[in-house]
Amino acid sequence: MDAAVTSAPTPATHPVPATGPDGGTAPVASPSGAGRPPRAAGRTARPHRARRENLAGYLFMSPWIAGFLLLTAGPMVASLYFAFTDYNLFDAPKWIGLDNFTEMFGDPRWRTSVEITGWYVVIGTPLKLAAALGVALLLNQSRRGQGFYRAAFYAPSLIGASVSIAIVWRAIFSDGAAVDRTQQLFGLDAGGWIGDPDRIIYALVALTVWQFGAPMVIFLAGLKQVPRELYEAAQVDGASPWRRFWHITLPMISPVLFFNVLLETIHSFQIFGSAYIIGSQGNACGPADGTLVYTCYLYIQGFENSRMGLASAMAWMLLLAVGLVTAVLFWSQRRWVHYEEGAR
Amino acid sequence: MLKVAGGSLATLGLTAAGCGTGSGSGDGTVTLRYSWWGSEDRAKRINQSIALFEKKFPKIRIKTDFQPYADFWKKFNTQASGGNAPDVFQNAIGFLRKYDAKNVLLDLREQAGAGNLRLDGFRAGLERFGEVDGKLLGVPVGSNSMALVVDQAVFTKAGVTPKPGWTWDEYHAALARIQESQGRAGDAGPYGIMYLYDLYLRQQGKAFFTTSGLGFTEADLTDWWTKAAARVKSGVYADPKKTIPAKPKSAVTAELAGCEFTWDNFAVRYTAEGKSSYGLAPIPTTDGRKTGQYLGSLMLSASKRTKYPMEAARFIDFMVHDPEVGKIMGYDRGVPATEAQYGAYVPTDEVGKQIAAYEKQLVESRVLEPITPHPAGADVCEAAFMRLAEEMSLGERPVADAVKQYFTEAKTALSS
Repeated sequence: MDAAVTSAPTPATHPVPATGPDGGTAPVASPSGAGRPPRAAGRTARPHRARRENLAGYLFMSPWIAGFLLLTAGPMVASLYFAFTDYNLFDAPKWIGLDNFTEMFGDPRWRTSVEITGWYVVIGTPLKLAAALGVALLLNQSRRGQGFYRAAFYAPSLIGASVSIAIVWRAIFSDGAAVDRTQQLFGLDAGGWIGDPDRIIYALVALTVWQFGAPMVIFLAGLKQVPRELYEAAQVDGASPWRRFWHITLPMISPVLFFNVLLETIHSFQIFGSAYIIGSQGNACGPADGTLVYTCYLYIQGFENSRMGLASAMAWMLLLAVGLVTAVLFWSQRRWVHYEEGAR
Repeated sequence: MLKVAGGSLATLGLTAAGCGTGSGSGDGTVTLRYSWWGSEDRAKRINQSIALFEKKFPKIRIKTDFQPYADFWKKFNTQASGGNAPDVFQNAIGFLRKYDAKNVLLDLREQAGAGNLRLDGFRAGLERFGEVDGKLLGVPVGSNSMALVVDQAVFTKAGVTPKPGWTWDEYHAALARIQESQGRAGDAGPYGIMYLYDLYLRQQGKAFFTTSGLGFTEADLTDWWTKAAARVKSGVYADPKKTIPAKPKSAVTAELAGCEFTWDNFAVRYTAEGKSSYGLAPIPTTDGRKTGQYLGSLMLSASKRTKYPMEAARFIDFMVHDPEVGKIMGYDRGVPATEAQYGAYVPTDEVGKQIAAYEKQLVESRVLEPITPHPAGADVCEAAFMRLAEEMSLGERPVADAVKQYFTEAKTALSS
């Protein structure tokens, strides 16, 4: 039985406890730990060579380091400065203190974009994770053609972020197209979703939920790691499937769940491409600002209205907000994420 | 290993050098970057024209780049702000002051004086269209004007024949007749088209812009949008919930409306897109005479930072004057600006003939007036006008609220 569990394919890196050979659980080796004890010995014996190896290592990393400093860190520092200036890309930035932030908070369109992004995160993320977990549970049973199903459910995650899919999505949800006609079969004649500023956001939610494959694979890996004897013991005690899910599966995979919640939430805040493509015909991120997610408005201010200072301030506000949400999630995990002893 | 690092730094250096504007090579061949907005079809015609140019000027190579209108300006703005604008590019009146203020546009007067760019032989005084404060910032390639594109079958069936000088009341009565007779909305909805509202204002002695701000009041716009909101509701103007998802197809070819206002040279597109036959009708008037129209135009401009102003001027000259280019381009960029190109192309298709007749009638009936000034920020004002009109039409924003928001946004755009 153990052989069946451990031989199942699992991704190389995931923060879940591995099943030990004795049937119990043992902590996964940390990346810097057990794997390389001899190297540590060599370092103390031949410091000169170690330094040279270090240098070589940094040289090999230099393209990445240069890229990071020039293309990520540099622009970030610059944008922090721009956030406090009036900057139209052409003339030198003019220091205006907190004016960008004052303007931002007083701008009704900015509040609209915060609202829409908030809705998108709050509705889209749980639905996507629920779909991912549900399908992962179904796929966790051994059945013929499993590999095929897994690949089939994963495929949308690979292609879902592409421009072509967004265009297809727009077509499917238009007035008189597939979704609209299906609705009409059920007597819901409401027109398409694309022309309706209040409903188009749900087309975006549907698109993200459809891409549940990536978190699903991570859930599957987590499910494979739950010791089978826990279920056997529970079954002997007469626990219903629901109780087994609630009291064994969920606590055991809670680290994976936490990981997925964190990743998907951060990811959701950054939605841009699908909103921009599905929403923009004539007016960017329309109709009537129906898909004006935060990054879309940032883009409009920066590149359409040439207000790079304001756009920089908006970008830093987004970073702060995502940082805050991440901090809250990390704080909350103490209450609901269950780590095996020693695995922390 | 140092070698490897050195190599990658050298690569970086090369990439950086490759970003410069244009480039010359050892044998004296010069490469110009030329970008424009437009469709695949325009790209084909332009590439043919360029092939001709390169044959005639073997020492000048043209590297092209094109996007749809809105994307073009975003890309251009980013390039220009980095000091890397294309050597030659398509331009329009709404952007002249904006980019002149940012020192992006080359004053072509010097090249014209040196004989590299001919300013004679233009129709209807078009050579002055690219002038701002005594500088020549653009050279017109073609002229266009607003028109009403109509689905002829729909208009015939409704028994409506638009005539020059017809009034807004007659126009709205026609729309109502279309709606009654065929259940189709009369017009796609003119309320968000800045250039049409400009004509409406000009008929009353005002204009959309003054040289420094908006040329109308909140009361003017409230009146225009209040009436529009009622007409969307009654179905005389098409339901935006249907026309928006139909885009990029026009509401007229999607058979959601009987007509719509647009630039006359766009009429070519309707025949390709829809099943009916389409024609051009005159702009309705307030007093039975004045349409407020002017000739607009596409232009070619050069970058102030180009290393090859002479070659850029020669290329513009070729694209504007060469009769062969006129034949290849047809009315794609509007009715050709120069007599040479105008004479070289005689439209044989129905739409081309209509466009020619339409502009001829405009020139002959002397309804044309000087163009409205476009202050820096006019482009942002146009985008906001379109967006807030859409919100108003969808009922997402009360008219009063939309008007107030528009004036707030326009003020910001025109002051920055």
